[in-house]
Amino acid sequence: MKTVIKTTDLTKIYNSSVAPVKAVDKVNLEFGEGEFTAIVGPSGSGKTTFLNLIGGLDKPTEGHVMIDDTDISNMKESKLFDFRLRNIGFVFQSYNLIPVLTAKENVSFIMLLQKESKAKMEKRAVEMLEQVGLSEKVDVRPSKLSGGQQQRVAVARALASKPKFVLADEPTANLDTESAFNLLDIMSRLNKEENITLIFSTHDQRVINRARRVITLVDGAVSKDETFDR
Amino acid sequence: MKTLIKISWRNIWRNRTRSIVIIVAIILGLMGGIFGAAMRLALEKQQFEDTIGTQVSHIQIHHPEFIAKPEARFRIPDGLQIASDLSNRDDVIVASPRTVFDGMAATANMNAGVRIKGIEPGIEAQTTGLDELLEEGSYLTENGRIPSILIGNALANKINAAVGSRLVLTFQDIEGEVINASFRVEGIYSLPSRAFEERTVFVKASEVNEAIGDPQAVSEIALVIDNQDEYRNIAAEIQELYPDTRVRHWADLQPALYYSLEVLNEALIWILIIVIMAVSFGLLNTILMSILERARELGMLLAIGMKRAKVFSMIVIETTIIALFGGVIGLISSYGMISILNRTGVPIPGGEGLGELGYASVLYPSLDIDFYFEIVVVLVVFAILASIYPAWKAIRLQPAEAVRQE
Repeated sequence: MKTVIKTTDLTKIYNSSVAPVKAVDKVNLEFGEGEFTAIVGPSGSGKTTFLNLIGGLDKPTEGHVMIDDTDISNMKESKLFDFRLRNIGFVFQSYNLIPVLTAKENVSFIMLLQKESKAKMEKRAVEMLEQVGLSEKVDVRPSKLSGGQQQRVAVARALASKPKFVLADEPTANLDTESAFNLLDIMSRLNKEENITLIFSTHDQRVINRARRVITLVDGAVSKDETFDR
Repeated sequence: MKTLIKISWRNIWRNRTRSIVIIVAIILGLMGGIFGAAMRLALEKQQFEDTIGTQVSHIQIHHPEFIAKPEARFRIPDGLQIASDLSNRDDVIVASPRTVFDGMAATANMNAGVRIKGIEPGIEAQTTGLDELLEEGSYLTENGRIPSILIGNALANKINAAVGSRLVLTFQDIEGEVINASFRVEGIYSLPSRAFEERTVFVKASEVNEAIGDPQAVSEIALVIDNQDEYRNIAAEIQELYPDTRVRHWADLQPALYYSLEVLNEALIWILIIVIMAVSFGLLNTILMSILERARELGMLLAIGMKRAKVFSMIVIETTIIALFGGVIGLISSYGMISILNRTGVPIPGGEGLGELGYASVLYPSLDIDFYFEIVVVLVVFAILASIYPAWKAIRLQPAEAVRQE
């Protein structure tokens, strides 16, 4: 299995007024193509910080993040923007859709930033919304969608640009059980059928139960790295 | 860019009430500012036309001693020739030679101090439009046994004179001898300036010059020039040509008017700047509020790879659209308002009293169409400046933190 992400001694220290806080502590991990991984751990264990570091949203204090053969740890900001745009999909806990755009426009938006043609964008956006079961909500704005539907639009948006991997930060935290299962079904299917690499930070047992690899962080360090045959 | 504009447009209407409030503020601010500017320009035009056009002209030439002692003996040497030469210049529209001195005007039972102006009626009509200022009677066209005189409405009231009344002028001739001459009121003129009306009478130069003892006498040459912005240069040039005379332009002759116009010009600029700045601060506040509310969404845009420059542009576009939207409606409304007021006129409270000071009691505001476009440009420039701070705040957001904001 091809390695998509590799971290080497990845460390992030925040300087607080009291004492420096080690949010991520010398983490050495590899993520292969098509993995479905859950990063778990109690609050403050460093899950989100780790995701931000491998997603290029934050810079490590020490160590490196390699995406394929590219070290993004010290990449210039302008290059990093472009790198994220072309390689990483994001799903956020609060959906973070653009409220003034329709579902299709939200999904198309990332392709627009990639300067795709209009026809291609629209086709891909509609396809992605069909894949997440929202073919009838293509022209609906987020305010008219339920939380679960909004998160599915966010998943479609994350996948529309065909990223190398998708980072999802507690994607089910704001969803009811039915919506959460629905979302997980879709993500599992996409992971298997399209071989999309998915990495979640979560403490939602529903997600953990679906993941084929579960990495537990405690105080910023890896305490367990388990693999399951699911 | 098209999508950025589309998103910006839709963002504006996310909070309709807030956007409408700022747009209405822009509209009202512009209408207020433009009304002030139009009234100010109407006042300037009226004052300038009344004072410079009908009374003073752009440039006046005198004998140097005439300024302190406006007497018949202080005449311009070769005055008629100078007036003729000056009227042939390309930059001079008309040069009106006059004989000017002070005297007394008396009817049977009233009298008043007056300034007597001997004029060439045809040339004077071109210079000051005196023939069109007549309220009653005719314009020095009669050649009767008794010479004609034109008096102001205020003087007519003061000394109980009317068209046809006989008036005796008392003045000194070139030798200083006191002369009495009888005139018949042929016409009564009217001007916004009551002081000028009360003080100035017009007679034919040929008749009054005979009386003072010098048929060729010229004590004042009034010039109307082609390009009124060049008045200083032309006056200086004429002064060099005729060093034995004293050449003064209207700003020298009417310093109070000149400084009032200058001060009002400054005030107008500052009023407009303050109005547009107030509007811009309102805009800044609106956009800043909107940015703070949208921090999570902006963080998401930065996270997925939208470049900071594009986010910056989006904020600037939003602000510019609001400014343009309010600006265009404000300017159309202002144009309509000024067009209506230009037809109906705007009465100035206490207008009767203002007449004493040479101001009109009704103003007719008007503005060049260019002015409206200039305002739009200024407004957009200020709007862009106002958007810089919120846009800067937006691009300083750290995506990792912003996406998690509650």
